[in-house]
Amino acid sequence: MIRKIAMALVAGLMLATPALAADPPAEIKIGTLYASSGRFASISMPVHSALKIWVDQKNAEGGVYVKAFDKKIPIKLVAYDDQSNTATASTLYNQLITQDKVDLLVADSGSVLTAPAVAIARDHKMFLFDQTGTGASFFSKDNPYIALMADPVSTIWPKPVADFLTQDGPKLGIKKIALLYSTNEFTGTQANAVRKFIKEANAPVEIVYDQGVPTETSNYTVIINNIRAKQPDAVIHLGYAPNDIAFLRNVNEVGAKFKWLFCIYPGLETELLEKNVGVKGMQHVFTYVPPSELNYPVNFGMKMPEFRALWNKTFPDGKVEFGFNAVAGYTTALVIEKTLSVATSLDQMELRRAVFSLSGQLKTLDGTFALDETGGQIGELTPLGQLEPDGKGGLKFVAVYPHDVATGKPVYPRP
Amino acid sequence: MLVYALVAGLLFGLYFSLVGIGLNLVFGVMRIVNLAHGDFLMLGAFIAVGVSALAGFDPLFAVPLAFVVFVLVGLVLYYLLVPRLQGSVDPEMLSIILFFGLSQVIEALTTIAFGTSERSIDSGELGKILAGLRVHVFGGDADGPVELLGQSFPTSWVISAAVSVVAILLVYVYLYRTRLGTLTRAVMSRREEAFATGINVDRVSAVAFGIGLGLAAIAGVFAPFMFGSVTPAFGEDATVTSFAIVVLGSLGNPLGTALGGVVYGISYMVVQTYLSSWADLLPYVLLILILLLRPSGLLGRRVRVA
Repeated sequence: MIRKIAMALVAGLMLATPALAADPPAEIKIGTLYASSGRFASISMPVHSALKIWVDQKNAEGGVYVKAFDKKIPIKLVAYDDQSNTATASTLYNQLITQDKVDLLVADSGSVLTAPAVAIARDHKMFLFDQTGTGASFFSKDNPYIALMADPVSTIWPKPVADFLTQDGPKLGIKKIALLYSTNEFTGTQANAVRKFIKEANAPVEIVYDQGVPTETSNYTVIINNIRAKQPDAVIHLGYAPNDIAFLRNVNEVGAKFKWLFCIYPGLETELLEKNVGVKGMQHVFTYVPPSELNYPVNFGMKMPEFRALWNKTFPDGKVEFGFNAVAGYTTALVIEKTLSVATSLDQMELRRAVFSLSGQLKTLDGTFALDETGGQIGELTPLGQLEPDGKGGLKFVAVYPHDVATGKPVYPRP
Repeated sequence: MLVYALVAGLLFGLYFSLVGIGLNLVFGVMRIVNLAHGDFLMLGAFIAVGVSALAGFDPLFAVPLAFVVFVLVGLVLYYLLVPRLQGSVDPEMLSIILFFGLSQVIEALTTIAFGTSERSIDSGELGKILAGLRVHVFGGDADGPVELLGQSFPTSWVISAAVSVVAILLVYVYLYRTRLGTLTRAVMSRREEAFATGINVDRVSAVAFGIGLGLAAIAGVFAPFMFGSVTPAFGEDATVTSFAIVVLGSLGNPLGTALGGVVYGISYMVVQTYLSSWADLLPYVLLILILLLRPSGLLGRRVRVA
């Protein structure tokens, strides 16, 4: 009798197990970090705010469609404040994985705060949705647990800058280049890429000044004087938003007249830079042309004007600026949404397969999502542009390179 | 390049003397480590942003405003916090914890009020009321840089350095030419003995605490110009640098801070010129060097005897 009961129980369990495995969770837990203070707050909060906009939007619709359970499931965003501190970020990434047991892990914005997540995610075999961490060392063939969502990987990002200087530069009279960068994974990688592209081009240009400064640098007056002493025809400054603010302000304050000047953030966080540097200080500066200026055709998610309108409605006080990072956060959200709609389970390697299946297919307001085999983003490219007066007291982007997307000619030398 | 670095370092250093002097005054009088010093500096910067962006005035008007506001804030905070601290067994150690907490509260409240993004003021706004005088003395354009020794420096640096010199001189006059200053130095020298001789130590300390915070706020007015921008989290870095300068000059000697600031400024600019990647290590390297070679600071001995 006992044997019969035991067999019936085993049979019952065997029948019940598949049903239990298919039971949908009450919520999909997405774990992430943000920096509400510190050096990276201005690039982290827009990304995080955009992610929250998407979560609220989807939950208002009853959740996000999850193919693994063939139904809509609400999202729970588990987010902690790392305060721009990498040590705090390490602890919190571990907490998200081991204590909160999140289903999806999303990195904080920027390479500095993504760096700790890369190793931790890999150790825990957790797939990392890397929002904007573009550092070269994050991506390798032996690490399947990462993909870059919304920025081109830094090894290729500055190619339009280097190509312009080596191909169009000599025709304009550009022969000597100064390269100044902040010594971190993001801009350090971009500086390496610039050097590599210039060297490979074998063009009649040379780098006459090549210096790194700490990322925390907030004063460039002496450095600008040193650059001036080298009499470069073109100056490339690679830094985060606070670096660009300080650098551009100092350039104007000491009356330095660089004939060609490139900075990253006048294009990426134009509103923030305008507030701090002023329109006059940004005129004729070369920068990346952000997706907000390009209006890419989309096949998933909101178009740029819709997203911008929703952003303005959600953050009417302007405390979080709209810019490239806001778009990046929303792009990450769209990749997550699409991934959940095609992944057949929440297994981390299945999530990876689903993300990579979107490569070349997904077109968002940030451009075409395309990954290389290591998970580096090779789509969503940003052309080289120049900020020109719009005649109404503001600035407009003029794309100058590559030529097939150019909307105007470069102004050289800067007036 | 060296001449430029030296002049820039002098201007930069004079400003940093102002950044540190309030911290040193507070420590000298009360033996209290004010870890929220940088946050009061940050609040001074936000007052300047308000005066310039909202009211449309020259940020120089924020100097007296910030000073008065934070002297009053200092007086209130003193009577709220410090007597309880002084009554504890180890006030120095407890002050570190207390003011660290205060620093976090100030940063959080400012973040809630103003957001996390960088804030700044147009460089041309600072000293626009003195533009005519500046052109008369230094030549050049009204909104251009200042020419010194044939090299151009930001106008805001020269103004910041000039205000710093005036503020340091006023601190000197306060300490050595007023009765309250004499009492302050007595408290700095021997707190218990000053109390025993009938000096109202609390009143003297409260005024010093208020002045210390007021000086921090004045330094903050110039922070958007010296550092490009400020955020609510700006205070932490400012406190660390202030400590390096104060220890360099001598803990408890406000005038040593002036020297410490100049040494720091010149060292920073020279390192930035020749070893730019290492520039941010400077405060810590100077701190270690001074603690190893002259633990009492550059003017350490003089203060104890004074």
